[in-house]
Amino acid sequence: MASVAEVRAAVDAALAQVTEGQAAIQAAREKLGEAQQSLAAALDGSANDAVGAAHASLSQADQSLEECLGATLLAVEQAQTYTAML
Amino acid sequence: MSLIQELGAQLRATSDELPTGQVSVAMERLRSATELLMWVRETSVDPIGVPQLGNATEHAERAAAALRLAQDAIAAYLAAIGLSGDASAPPSGDWRAALERTGEQRPTQGAEAVAPERLGPWWQARVAQLTGEPPPDSDKAAGQGDGADTAELLRRVASGVRAGDRARVGRDLHSVNASIGLALSAVTPPVLHRLAGDLLGHEPRPEDVPRLRAAAAGRVRSMLPGTGPAVLETLIDRICRVPAQGADRPAAHPADNAVTASVLTGVLLARLGRDASSLDPAAPEPLRRPAEAAEPR
Repeated sequence: MASVAEVRAAVDAALAQVTEGQAAIQAAREKLGEAQQSLAAALDGSANDAVGAAHASLSQADQSLEECLGATLLAVEQAQTYTAML
Repeated sequence: MSLIQELGAQLRATSDELPTGQVSVAMERLRSATELLMWVRETSVDPIGVPQLGNATEHAERAAAALRLAQDAIAAYLAAIGLSGDASAPPSGDWRAALERTGEQRPTQGAEAVAPERLGPWWQARVAQLTGEPPPDSDKAAGQGDGADTAELLRRVASGVRAGDRARVGRDLHSVNASIGLALSAVTPPVLHRLAGDLLGHEPRPEDVPRLRAAAAGRVRSMLPGTGPAVLETLIDRICRVPAQGADRPAAHPADNAVTASVLTGVLLARLGRDASSLDPAAPEPLRRPAEAAEPR
């Protein structure tokens, strides 16, 4: 039979997964920043359309990851509020 | 090496090092968390963060798509400057990233780790139901493990499946706590996608579902007599990128997906004739034999 402790533990287990996801997102953003710098240095002065597309895609990826992180923070807050009132 | 070759090598390295693996890890972690929370809140009107996690997963998917577009753009540029030999897509390292990250991101073993242990009996009870193997009597053996992380657990389960030893699979699954066991759901998708691709000889497609089902269903069922067919169907659909079926299938118990996915990994490895050690992220790429691999055994 389920207990409050068990529900809380299940939510905690889910939040542990979210924490790992957040760490992966942060690591991805760091690598992405390095890639953007590397690309900018290598392709400085290029007017090729593909170069512009690559830069735009990397910026888009970084923005999506930032929004992803924000959404996970909201999710964690909501889950913690729920377990606090159990 | 000419200047243009040097530029090409640098761009190729930048493309290969884009964090597609980390983003894939993040997506699977978020999906796994969502699955668990959905199970917890099934009859509650309180969302407990599930919609926000859904949004987060969509953002991560968009980031992954943007990274692929960036890789395509770099490949197009390389082709445009006459380096088409350097322009092919890099091999997917997602499965390596998934297996690499589990060990270093485990929550610290301190006071905060006490709460998830309450899920121990819940996990063990479900594992017993799925495998038909009762949990060990001693607390030391049940849920206390030997410090194995999820990637190591996956290798052990796969090895047990490969040996056809259901009791060993049951023992290995019983030996970890719920948190490590449930994380199998997050670790396995890129691994399964890769193994299925190797078995089929091409990227898994929706029309490959019957073939994969024929190759795996019997053995999964024999290792997990307590699992429902819908769980395996859902996993195979995901591997083959079949569009979601919506509300056709009821949400499965989170442990079912995690356990079945790990056993399916072992079954696919067995079909490919590979050892569980090939799941080590540091292991070299196994040789692919498309002609043989394409034949269901």
